[in-house]
Amino acid sequence: MSTSIVTVKKVHKTFNNHKIVALKEVSFSLEEGKILAIVGESGSGKTTLIRLIAGLDVVDQGTIELNQKVVSSNAVFISPQQRNVGMVFQDYALFPHFTVYDNIAYGIASSPHKKERIQEVLTLVGLLDKQQSYPGELSGGQQQRVALARALAPKPKLLILDEPFSSLDVLLRGQLRKDLLEILKQTQTTAIFVTHDIKDAIEISDEILVLQNGSIKQQGSTERVYKNPKGTYMKLLFDSIR
Amino acid sequence: MNKRVQNFLRDTNTWSIFLLAIVLFVAIPIITIFVNLFKGPGETWNHLVANLLPNYLFNSLWLILGTSVLTLFFGVASAWIVSRYHIPLRKPLEWLLILPLAIPSYITAYAYAGIFDYGGMLENILHIKIDIMNMYGLVFVLSFSLYPYVYLSSRAFFLNQSANIIEASKLLGASERKTFFKLMLPLARPAFIAGLVLVLMEVLNDYGAAKYYGINTFTTGIFRAWFSLEEPETAIYLSAILVAIIFVLISLEKWQRKRIGYFNSVKNHQKVQREHLTGSTKIFFFIIVCIPVLFGFILPVLQLIYWAFLTFKEVFTLNFVSLSLQSLGIALLAAFSTVLMALCILFVSKWNRLAFLKPIVKISVLGYAIPGAVIAIGILIPAIFLDKWFIAFFKNIFDLKIGFILNGTLMALVYAYMVRFLAVAYGSIEASSLKLGASLSEASKLLGSGHIATFRKIEFPLLKPAIFSAFMLVFVDVMKELPLTLILKPYAVNTLAVKAYEYASDELIAEAALPSLCIVVVGILPVIFLNRLISKERS
Repeated sequence: MSTSIVTVKKVHKTFNNHKIVALKEVSFSLEEGKILAIVGESGSGKTTLIRLIAGLDVVDQGTIELNQKVVSSNAVFISPQQRNVGMVFQDYALFPHFTVYDNIAYGIASSPHKKERIQEVLTLVGLLDKQQSYPGELSGGQQQRVALARALAPKPKLLILDEPFSSLDVLLRGQLRKDLLEILKQTQTTAIFVTHDIKDAIEISDEILVLQNGSIKQQGSTERVYKNPKGTYMKLLFDSIR
Repeated sequence: MNKRVQNFLRDTNTWSIFLLAIVLFVAIPIITIFVNLFKGPGETWNHLVANLLPNYLFNSLWLILGTSVLTLFFGVASAWIVSRYHIPLRKPLEWLLILPLAIPSYITAYAYAGIFDYGGMLENILHIKIDIMNMYGLVFVLSFSLYPYVYLSSRAFFLNQSANIIEASKLLGASERKTFFKLMLPLARPAFIAGLVLVLMEVLNDYGAAKYYGINTFTTGIFRAWFSLEEPETAIYLSAILVAIIFVLISLEKWQRKRIGYFNSVKNHQKVQREHLTGSTKIFFFIIVCIPVLFGFILPVLQLIYWAFLTFKEVFTLNFVSLSLQSLGIALLAAFSTVLMALCILFVSKWNRLAFLKPIVKISVLGYAIPGAVIAIGILIPAIFLDKWFIAFFKNIFDLKIGFILNGTLMALVYAYMVRFLAVAYGSIEASSLKLGASLSEASKLLGSGHIATFRKIEFPLLKPAIFSAFMLVFVDVMKELPLTLILKPYAVNTLAVKAYEYASDELIAEAALPSLCIVVVGILPVIFLNRLISKERS
């Protein structure tokens, strides 16, 4: 029986003194090894949801479990550094004063097999020859790969990718999409990735969760959602790529 | 349990308590003034309201009005000319226009007293004599001393404007004059008003220049109430009125900025290209730009150099070297403490998870809006209270006679500088921290590092330039500071600013030149540094 890595129960989140409701009673779960795409327009609550899961924000109501352990609720808050969650940020968030090697070493500094692991993840993303380069010396695609390698190095239970392709051009996007899927499957990483591009979601994910105005509009396997999109927004979205 | 209470308990961490403690610590002078207001005014308050307060108000308003007109004219005009046209010596003029900021206004005031005095530069060269020691003179001195605030904010605005706006105006048939008055000037309003508010805050904070020119203002009134009348209650009431005026000014500035949403709205634009001028326009614009440089920097500095040359032998003694070192030491210590406190407030407020506590940080950076004399009074009152308590405590418990622990000590003085200049350090570091964004520290935390480790490995190395520039700004401000230092400095300690003031007060104005020049030299360094930073950011 497969175990649930992420369980989100009735999560509610507001901002600006409860004036802006970012998430309303959101619930879903994700099993080990699966890839979930969170799709929605700007302001639909996608980023808020992943920030809550990563521990970068606190819930107003509801519960988040990681690996069957409550990490966020009204009574509990486990800090991000204790959650074993990796994240690839939209802007990659590479430390500009560190080399590629040091960026990747950052999360595994105390590991006895640090060097081997760095070689391993760099080989995985195809950047073994760039380990002494600084992020500023790399192209957008290479930076994205370093960010992925850095997030994968500590072997996180869950990997979150926030719009990982948004700042890349169309040609590079297609290649990186393929590479990312291969890497995630190869490493058997459970992943959540946020996108507003339905193409990304279809090609990479096993499951899709559609957010609109902070509520879940549709969720299920990618195939099912693709065949039977609910609501005008989803129909328009799929029509655009058919 | 109620969910909100649960969330409150969940989000309360050590940093929340630490943040509250820091903010309370920094807010002591403000709280003191506020609390003491309820104790009622002193005995002479009614007399003061009937006889002196109208004079303080009238003079302060006159100063506000006069300096506003002059600083706006020279600040905006020179900013527009150097950002829009090619004029002779444009590059050196661009940074020379900032240099009056390096000279404290009381020193400019001393210099002009000499220039306009009997046998002064004006009489010797032009054979005319004008009495400058009056309200008009003070407006003149403060305006040419403080216009760079308006110049800097306006120049930053004009340099960041899109060329498209000007081109669109030209294509619609508008002349250069119409484009400036109908388009650029209204657009730049939020920028130059922001600069003007800084000018007015400095005008209301001024003590040295107003005192020397014999003009009664709120700040001189606070000094009189405290030292001559020995009535702290009256000093507090005057301070409260002064603070109220300043907050009205700040609120007006915020209100006007909120109303105009198009401030700096154009991004990723093509930069404005400078136009070539010909004939009389070129000469006229060149003269407009040279006037503030001449009156704000060159003339006062020439006068100071002349005086310093005359009095060098008498003033440059071992005692002078010692007080210069004291001044330097105090400024270094104060700058270090202030930057440390600014870092504490900035990061502890980030690490605190209680959202409602975050806005209180603003209280701790109010010091810059509050005149030095008011802060000094706000510190003296609790310091005297605590000292009395300590003396009684040691006497009663240990039968020991002790002196003042806080009042008149370096600790109180450094604390006062910290309160006064915290906003300078905080603003500088916060701006860079915002530019850095949150994702770097979030990435570090997700990779297993805690708050302190993230600060040490990621944020501190990347913020080093901002921290250094904050340190330098506070250092120079402390070197220049006068009213607060006069009230709080320990008896045996002296600073260059106080020495210059003492010489000038004793009518030894030429002797005041050497300590003044030392302050000016120290003040020039960050001005050049900041100007380079702005140019670098632009490129």
